[in-house]
Amino acid sequence: MNRVFQGFVGRVFSYLFSLWVILTLNFLLPRLMPGDPLAALLDPASSDYVFDPEVRAALEAYYGLDRPLLEQYARYLVGIFTGDLGRSIRLSRPVGELVASRLPWTLLLVGTALLLSSALALVAGTEAGWRRGSRTDRALVAVHLLLANVPVYLTGMLFIHLFGARLGWLPMAGGRTPFARYETLLAAALDIGRHLVLPALTLTLGMLGVKFLLVRNTMVTVLGEDFMLVARAKGLPEGRLKWGHGLRNAVLPFVAHLAAHAGMAITGAVFIETLFNYPGMGRLIFESVTARDYPVIQGVFLVVSAVVLTANLAADLLNARLDPRVLEG
Amino acid sequence: MLVVRDLRVTFSRDGKSGVRAVDGVSFELARGGALGVIGETGAGKTTLARALLGLHPPECVQGSVRLDGRELAGLSEEEWRAVRWRRIALVVQSVGTALDPVYRVGEQIGEPMRFHLGLSPAEAWARAEELARRVGLEPRHLCAYPHQLSGGEKQRALLAMALGCNPEVLVLDEPTSGQDMLSRVRLLDLLADLRRERGTALLVVSHDLGAVARLTEEVAVLYAGKLVEVGPTEAVFGDPRHPYTWGLLHSYPDMDTARDLRSIRGLPPDPAHPPAGCRFHPRCTQAVEKCRHEEPPLVEVAGRQVACHLGGLQTLLRAESLRKVFFVDNGGPRSPLEAVRGVSLEIREGEVVALVGETGSGKTTLGRMLVGLLSPDGGRVVLEGRDLTAAQGEKWRWLSRRVQLIPQDPFDAVSPRMTVDQVVREPLDIQKVGAPPEREEKVRQVLKAVGLPTDPVFLSLHAHELSGGQLQRVVIARALVLEPKLLIADEPVAMLDPSEQARVMNLLKEIQVERGLAMLLISHDLALVRKVADRILVMHQGRIVEEGPGSRVVTRPIHEHTRALLESAPRIGVFTAEDAEETEF
Repeated sequence: MNRVFQGFVGRVFSYLFSLWVILTLNFLLPRLMPGDPLAALLDPASSDYVFDPEVRAALEAYYGLDRPLLEQYARYLVGIFTGDLGRSIRLSRPVGELVASRLPWTLLLVGTALLLSSALALVAGTEAGWRRGSRTDRALVAVHLLLANVPVYLTGMLFIHLFGARLGWLPMAGGRTPFARYETLLAAALDIGRHLVLPALTLTLGMLGVKFLLVRNTMVTVLGEDFMLVARAKGLPEGRLKWGHGLRNAVLPFVAHLAAHAGMAITGAVFIETLFNYPGMGRLIFESVTARDYPVIQGVFLVVSAVVLTANLAADLLNARLDPRVLEG
Repeated sequence: MLVVRDLRVTFSRDGKSGVRAVDGVSFELARGGALGVIGETGAGKTTLARALLGLHPPECVQGSVRLDGRELAGLSEEEWRAVRWRRIALVVQSVGTALDPVYRVGEQIGEPMRFHLGLSPAEAWARAEELARRVGLEPRHLCAYPHQLSGGEKQRALLAMALGCNPEVLVLDEPTSGQDMLSRVRLLDLLADLRRERGTALLVVSHDLGAVARLTEEVAVLYAGKLVEVGPTEAVFGDPRHPYTWGLLHSYPDMDTARDLRSIRGLPPDPAHPPAGCRFHPRCTQAVEKCRHEEPPLVEVAGRQVACHLGGLQTLLRAESLRKVFFVDNGGPRSPLEAVRGVSLEIREGEVVALVGETGSGKTTLGRMLVGLLSPDGGRVVLEGRDLTAAQGEKWRWLSRRVQLIPQDPFDAVSPRMTVDQVVREPLDIQKVGAPPEREEKVRQVLKAVGLPTDPVFLSLHAHELSGGQLQRVVIARALVLEPKLLIADEPVAMLDPSEQARVMNLLKEIQVERGLAMLLISHDLALVRKVADRILVMHQGRIVEEGPGSRVVTRPIHEHTRALLESAPRIGVFTAEDAEETEF
């Protein structure tokens, strides 16, 4: 138990260290660029010149380039932990506020898609692996190979065309009906849910192919293990063999995969949020990049890194819960 | 209770031609009985063990497996479930990977009890603790995960798991593999105790013959998917009758074996293409034409069943109360000297028998009588069932093709006027074997077999131009050229220096195994012959005073003369027990 606890603490520390490295990089990178990060923004001759004097002042104050580097660093860190991420040039609003208004939408979209695609992949992958070589297995593999290779914007446009434009069942864009006032919480949930269906479905299908193939192939490997033969020899019911021993072991690489793909899931939402005009982080990234709104890009980068790191740590700890060999490694 | 009839397991490779891993195996296991199945790796032992639990795809299995009269072959997966573990449990061979890595050991031991006996998790855990204690595990082992246990602990956990539902039959697949000697002994004791306590019938599948001997009363020998010998363990191990069983037992190292490992010649057949006829015939030393075409059935021989057309291992040569008296002329009246006083012996197919005795014990005289160079004054010599006493003419020629002598002194045996080529070819010329080109080819082959060059220069050398070792090899080649069944080697290495002695001895042993010969090795050097001999006969003053397996004679000699011979055997820098006593003050 002691060794397990040590492993746990070690992991948390290594994540904190990674977070610190990212924070520091985020601080150093703009300052290491030739000139300084504000040169273009404060130079009236530059195409990036910030016209709003209030914003210019805020930027200068935020970066505080006239102070010693260490002090800048300290102020930067304090700022981050108090939610001060700078100010958007384009919207003239604090970056923290922008992120706070967008992050929940992305979490909702990506979370829904992750849950759905994982559940589908686990069930279908386990069944296909259990029946390896059968007609069902081959059909499932073919479908998912296709899914894994179709770009999400293609499926997305197809859905918008079919369910939005042609059939008119679902809204084509946005996270909610603009200017709507909801009488009840339920009404709000229904409206948001209706807007969520198409983007979430598109993202789910985009993630499903790879996940299914991973579960199915791991399952086939696990079923060939000696302990599966022993479990069969023990006369256990099929469900226990398939789920209790088969999937229970096949899920381990899957969880590791989830962690590795947490970042991909968020940035993968850029396409879909743009396509569906969904008010999440992905669209914020897209808009900020188009407008060269550097403070926002940096802020978003920081938040996404933190989210990915947290997801990684969560998956790691989950894996450790699932596999007794991990923390003792 | 468990009756297996004509069980066949065929695996298809890419859906094409089948590999028959188990082919027509039948046996019975009584309630509380114990049966061992032995054989080399790849003989089909594990396939057989798994077939008893219905673990192969149903389309691969034919034949009948009955448990208390109920046919198990052809049951559906659902029906098998009720049989597995409750009635027949299995301890698999791959101990390291047989436990699910993500569950605690205790949960896995309890698991079958939960599903078969309907116990709650807590009850199952309690029962698991009881079982674990019985097999020598502690509660802390149950709380551990498989990767935290040692190999021996895992083996015990698997055993506890198998006992959970108190099965009537316990199938043990290589229960002792990968264990050190001490834990192996403990495990065997435990298994024997468990069997006595619970009345569980054991089916032990193993190549650990010691384990099978310890645990079972009956044994079945599996070769390339077929049973070749089935009978009481004591009878089969004590007096193997199938040539394969004999070879297998003689390949097995036990504590007493002083002899170097003897292997059966050749390799087991590729299961996809087993040889026609008896599957063992390419490796068998006594195979006849019939063995190549017809599969031998299991027939009753000497209290067990043997699948051999010849009724099992053949006696190659038998001597019955041989006597020889010489009259010595020492000036006065000729006095009789009894050199051999009523010696009987047997040499079996493929066996190496050493005849050991000091100079003048009569062993050379005996050897010369066996090859027909001396006619005995009493008794008879029977070779492959033909009486050879005073053989002459056709019979004599036949005899010299079956039995060849490697004489004591090669310089004495080879005419100084003949070249190497002539010396080796002479027997072929005398016997008129084949046309001259064939004879030349044969000469080359045997010279190669004994590790000599075959170039014209070497072939034209004379005896005095060769080294002792080379000349001895030439003499061995000469003895081999007629492809005899029995070699009688009289002090074959006595004239050589020690390193050359070892080399020639290894060569002889290798030739004996590869060509499937029997050999009678006459020597005064017990230390040397114990390296190669299956059986040792000790001769003293014209009589055989001690006879037994090489290992026994060397480690536990009975006759005082044997002890004397052993004590006089050369030792280099090795302190014996007596030496140690002498040096202690």
